[in-house]
Amino acid sequence: MKRILPILIILVVLGGAAAATAWYVKKSNPPVPATPSAAGATANAQPASDTSAPSGAKEAGAVPPHAQGPENAPVTLEEFGDFQCPPCGMLHPVLKQMESEFGPKLRIIFREFPLVPTHEHALAAARAAEAAGLQGKFWEMHDILYENQKAWHDVFDIRPVFEGYATKIGLDLDRYRRDLSSNTVEQRIFLDGKRGHALNVSGTPTVFLNGKEIPFESLAPDKLRVLIQNASNGK
Amino acid sequence: MTALTHSLSPARAVTFLFTSAAVISLIGLADALYLTVEHLSGRSVRCTVISGCSEVLSSPYATIKGIPLAGIGAIAYFVVFSLATLAAFGNRAAIKLMLLVLAAMFITTLWLVYLQAFVIRHFCQFCLLSAAVTVTLTVLSLLGYRFAAKT
Repeated sequence: MKRILPILIILVVLGGAAAATAWYVKKSNPPVPATPSAAGATANAQPASDTSAPSGAKEAGAVPPHAQGPENAPVTLEEFGDFQCPPCGMLHPVLKQMESEFGPKLRIIFREFPLVPTHEHALAAARAAEAAGLQGKFWEMHDILYENQKAWHDVFDIRPVFEGYATKIGLDLDRYRRDLSSNTVEQRIFLDGKRGHALNVSGTPTVFLNGKEIPFESLAPDKLRVLIQNASNGK
Repeated sequence: MTALTHSLSPARAVTFLFTSAAVISLIGLADALYLTVEHLSGRSVRCTVISGCSEVLSSPYATIKGIPLAGIGAIAYFVVFSLATLAAFGNRAAIKLMLLVLAAMFITTLWLVYLQAFVIRHFCQFCLLSAAVTVTLTVLSLLGYRFAAKT
């Protein structure tokens, strides 16, 4: 018995580890719930009879959302992003590519989800983008922040860097400085964050396609293209 | 720990130390399995409020030729668990083999902590837990080896 017992213990632990792993995989990959998407994307939401919509749908986020593409586009991607998050920076050119490939069939919404304190400049970047948005140049600032993410990621004093971007995209710098700490900017970031939390967003980038969360591994260009294609064909 | 083991007979101390090592290696196994699943699902590559993990786990050092390092860690912890269990039941060969495996794990741990501190410049608490487990296992197995020599 003394010879068999350790082997038995090892086998039991092996079986237990396999079972626990399988349970965790199953638990962490639940069926994707249908979620009515943003206020600006309600045209693409799931049917009203769908009762699986989470409570997060009640949080509209900042209104109007920052959106590109027609409101009646058959496909809406709603991204919860953090300008300092490297994977969000990697997703940026992918979404640009999808935008150019699908044109009016695709609507992209960006939601602020700065991860504080993980990323020390994330909130400042969100404020910069929202302040630019008050001058009608949210997407210009959005693009310049992502395209230069590596350049400002580790900068100590971020203010002059973002002011440089503000100047570059043609913002009124005095107004931009005032708007950075305005209630409107704070409120938009807060409301987007509130919507994200209600939708159980726990990291960035998190992307919803017509209200359904896309698994992170499906954000690769080839997989995302197929998902958008299928959604635009009503599959 | 040392005071406790000194109050025991060498044979009992060996059993106690390797049983402790087996239990602690299960913590490492659970940690490594969690990280492996997170890695394979792609979730670890996202940024989260858990500071540093995404930076560490999305770095090129998180995989070896496409294989998640956490997965290799899980196998290593299971091997250590098996050897510690055998050692607790008096298998001498298992003790020496366990020391060899732990030596490799200890060196790898030092390298990974160095990478987190000076190259990636972010710490992931799951990786730090794994490092703490490896260090503890190394200490326990060295003590166990010492007591086993007295029996």
